[in-house]
Amino acid sequence: MLEQYPVLVAIGMMAAIVYATRLGGYLVGLQIRHIGWLRPILEALPGCAFMAILVPAVRQGNLVEIAAMACVVGLMWKTDNVVIATVVGMAVLLLGESVVGV
Amino acid sequence: MTTYQSLLLGIRSSGAYFISTFLFGVMFGIAASSAGVSDWHSMLMSASVFSASAQFASLEFWQSPLPLGTIALSVALVSSRNILLGMSMTHHFDGHSMTKRIILLFILNDPGVVTSFRLDQSVDRLGYVTGYGIALMFSWLCSSLLGLNIATWFAQADLGSLDFAGPLVMATMMILFAKGSKADPTPWIVSGIAALILFEVGTPNYLILILSVVIGVVAAVARGRFKHA
Repeated sequence: MLEQYPVLVAIGMMAAIVYATRLGGYLVGLQIRHIGWLRPILEALPGCAFMAILVPAVRQGNLVEIAAMACVVGLMWKTDNVVIATVVGMAVLLLGESVVGV
Repeated sequence: MTTYQSLLLGIRSSGAYFISTFLFGVMFGIAASSAGVSDWHSMLMSASVFSASAQFASLEFWQSPLPLGTIALSVALVSSRNILLGMSMTHHFDGHSMTKRIILLFILNDPGVVTSFRLDQSVDRLGYVTGYGIALMFSWLCSSLLGLNIATWFAQADLGSLDFAGPLVMATMMILFAKGSKADPTPWIVSGIAALILFEVGTPNYLILILSVVIGVVAAVARGRFKHA
C-alpha cells in the first residue's frame, strides 16, 4: 500500500489539472468569442481532439480491441443507443481475450 | 425554459449515459482495487476528479513511488479535450454570473455538452449540462463503490483490455457528436488522418494531439474560405 501523503497529492493534482482544463477552455473561449470567423473553428475543435486521441489508440489496439471498437462505432451509428453499444463493446473486450487468446 | 427546468431536463436526458457511466464506474472500481488504490482514495478520486479517462490513465502509473510528473502529464493529455469542450460552450452559458459558471464548470461533462448541441434555443445550456453532470456524478460514485466491493470476485481475471474502456467511451461520444452537430466533418477526418500519419512516424503522444488538432483547424479555416469564395 502506498503512503497516504503522496497519494493525496496525486489525487489533488489530478483534480486540479482536470478542473483547470474545463475552466481554462471556457475562459479562453470568452476572450476570443467576438471574433466571428473563430466560431466554425470552435465547432470543429472537439471532434478534432476526439479523433486525435482515438485514432492512435485504435491503431495500437490488438485484434479484440479493434473488434470492440468496430462494434461500438457500428452500433452507435446504426442505433444511436449508447447502452447497447457500450455493453456489446465491453462484452467483446472482456470475452474476446479468452476466445481469441490475444 | 428556466435554469431549474433545464437542470431537470439534463437529469432526465442522461439515462443512456447514466447506465454506460455506471458500467465504466464499476470497471474503474475493479481496476483501482487491482492497482492497489485503497477504497477511500478511489472514492476521493472519483468525487474530485470526475473524469473516467483521466482516472483510468492514472491507474497505469499507480506504483510506489508514485511518478507524479508522469501522472500529471497523462491526465493533462487525456483531459486536453476539456479545453475544447469548454471553449465550445462559450456562447451557450451567457446570462449567468461568472461565479456560478466557474463553480458549475467543475461538472462539465462530455455527454452533456455533446447532447446539448441538439437542443433548441429555449433550453438553458448551463442548467442542462449541470443536471446532466449531477446525474453522471451520482452514477459514477455509486458504480465506483460497487466496483470496489466486487473487486475480489475479479481478482483472478486478466483485466488488461479494460485499458481500452476509455477509447470506447470516447467513440460513443464522437459518433453522438458527429450525428448531432451541424458542423462540417471534414476537419475531423483530416485530423484523424494526420493523427494516424504522425503516430506511424513515431511522434510523441502530446505532439500527435497538438499537431493533428492544429491541422484539423487549418482544414476548418480552409473549408470556411472555400465556401465563402
